[in-house]
Amino acid sequence: MPWTNQGGGGPWGSGGKGPWGSGPQAPGPTPPDLEEILRRGQDRLRRVLPGGNLGGRGFALIALGVLALWGFSGFFRVEPDELGVVLRFGKEVREVQPGLNYHLPFPVETVLTPKALRVNKIDIGMRIVDDIRRGGTTTRDVPEESLMLTGDENIVDVDFSVLWKVKPTGVGEFLFNIQNPEGTVKAVAESAMREVIGRSEIQPILTGARQTIETAVQDLMQRTLDHYGAGVIVQQVQLQKVDPPAQVIDAFRDVQAARADLERAVNEAQTYANRVVPEARGRVAQITQAAEAYKQQTVAEATGQTSRFLKIYEQYKKAPVVTRERMYLETMERVLGGTDKIILDSGSGGSGVVPYLPLNELTRPQQQGRSQGSTGGRP
Amino acid sequence: MRLNFFGGIAAVVIVAALIVAYSSLFTVYQTQQALVIRLGQPVRVVNEPGLNLKAPFIDSVVYIDKRILDLEAPSQEVIASDQKRLVVDAFARYRINDALRFYQTLGSIAGANSQLSILLNSALRRVLGEVTFSHVVRDQRADLMARIRELVDKEATSYGVQVVDVRIRRADLPEQNSQAVYQRMQTERQREAAEFRAQGAQRAQEIRSRADREVTVLVAEATSKSEQIRGEGDATRNQIFAEAFNQDPDFFAFYRSMQAYEHGLKANDTRLLLKPDSNFFRYFTDPSGKVKDSSPPPAGR
Repeated sequence: MPWTNQGGGGPWGSGGKGPWGSGPQAPGPTPPDLEEILRRGQDRLRRVLPGGNLGGRGFALIALGVLALWGFSGFFRVEPDELGVVLRFGKEVREVQPGLNYHLPFPVETVLTPKALRVNKIDIGMRIVDDIRRGGTTTRDVPEESLMLTGDENIVDVDFSVLWKVKPTGVGEFLFNIQNPEGTVKAVAESAMREVIGRSEIQPILTGARQTIETAVQDLMQRTLDHYGAGVIVQQVQLQKVDPPAQVIDAFRDVQAARADLERAVNEAQTYANRVVPEARGRVAQITQAAEAYKQQTVAEATGQTSRFLKIYEQYKKAPVVTRERMYLETMERVLGGTDKIILDSGSGGSGVVPYLPLNELTRPQQQGRSQGSTGGRP
Repeated sequence: MRLNFFGGIAAVVIVAALIVAYSSLFTVYQTQQALVIRLGQPVRVVNEPGLNLKAPFIDSVVYIDKRILDLEAPSQEVIASDQKRLVVDAFARYRINDALRFYQTLGSIAGANSQLSILLNSALRRVLGEVTFSHVVRDQRADLMARIRELVDKEATSYGVQVVDVRIRRADLPEQNSQAVYQRMQTERQREAAEFRAQGAQRAQEIRSRADREVTVLVAEATSKSEQIRGEGDATRNQIFAEAFNQDPDFFAFYRSMQAYEHGLKANDTRLLLKPDSNFFRYFTDPSGKVKDSSPPPAGR
């Protein structure tokens, strides 16, 4: 806005070159056609000046040019992620959308262009830092932000992120109501998270309640920020890492391992049961079948033997005496045919076999050829 | 010459008018309120943003922030009513709602911050010292924050300041107490792990024993049934034999004896001493077959 200052000073006494001899440095965001306008203005001036008459006409023209330039300085650009808020003498008068816009020039109107459409992210409990060795980024833990007390007096390590943006209808609030919107969002986020965690027990925090916690923190933050009239909308609260503190994490992992051990022991026992019981059922089948087999075998044998007996008996009935005699003789023939035998005539006195004892001596040659054991066992 | 003279006069008049205008107009921004002071005496407060008039040269304007301002209190150790120590870190948000009083008592935002810090700290100690540790952490945090806010707000009114909110950011244990908590957490987890493992052993043993029992019962039942079946078989056998052999017990005795002789007197391990006067030998000594003794030949070893 040097134009206005120079308009009061009147440097045109020093000739037609004036301020625009030093080049058309466009003020602020310049529309592209400004240069052309400037050049035309210079041409006109040059046409007037050769007359050497710095009269009323020339003065008016210069003033006109200055006014025109002043007027053009009101053009401004709003980037795609921004919104423009136009202030007239410091008072908010209107909002404008991204693109080329115009406000009345400087002392009357000014414009603020906050990045109101962008979603901002705040990390709490960690910082994303550039890692030069790997060329990417890593997170660094900030324990004084992430360690917090739970309702059952345990300590838990929570990292989370908050996504927030300016309320679509609250750009004015965002700009004018609150001194340090970003810092406030962060402070409120920390406070809300600790309040919510402080109401919960550690076990659900570590396992199932992530969604509940996120929602509760988001609600609490939104209420607080609305109470401040901060013009901020909390889009999302994301829990990143929820762990027991590093000092005790091994013990927590061991609990997980123990749980797995429990499962394993039960599974092993179940395996054993699943093996042993069917095996027993197999054995049961075996025992039963063996019994059945015995029964059938016994009956079959008995049936066989009786039917043999009955067949013989049938024939025997027809000629009992002869058959009986024949069977007796045949049997004795078979019995006596294969055995050693000594025939003693009892008619030669009542002494019986005694004179011939020991009987072993009598048959020794034969016995030796057959069975040693039977002689050895004899007294 | 005349033109120049008039031109000069016009220029002087314009410049003078501009200077007067400049010193009698002032802008109040949206984020500000303005206090107009005439020769040291405050005359009025401008709350509405926009262009305003003042008396040139004698009035001066002090701009005071109208937004909600930050106040970060440093963390401090508080002792709760149950003697537990807490490190508390709170922040407040406040607004200057009486520009004149603010200007007179505190003067600047930096002054306000240091003064309000003191108020906040003492309110914090007073309120948190009355309740127990678990109330601070768990049960009444929101209520306590509201009470602290009321306390600070009441005192801050005299400074022209309204405290919008007080929030406890951190309420943590001091380092040495944290170590104790860690140890407790650790032992709790160890207990839990041991319990899980013992439970596992117990349940495994239960399952195994139940399986063993089932096996034993199954086998016993099967054995019992098997004995029954075998008995049935034996019974049937006996019945069959009895039916058949009862037709002629005498012949049966003979027939079975014959079989028994044949199977009982094996060729290789039997030695017979026979008397030639047995029935078998009745033709042995006498071709007419006259039997001397009716008994069958005795067997012996």
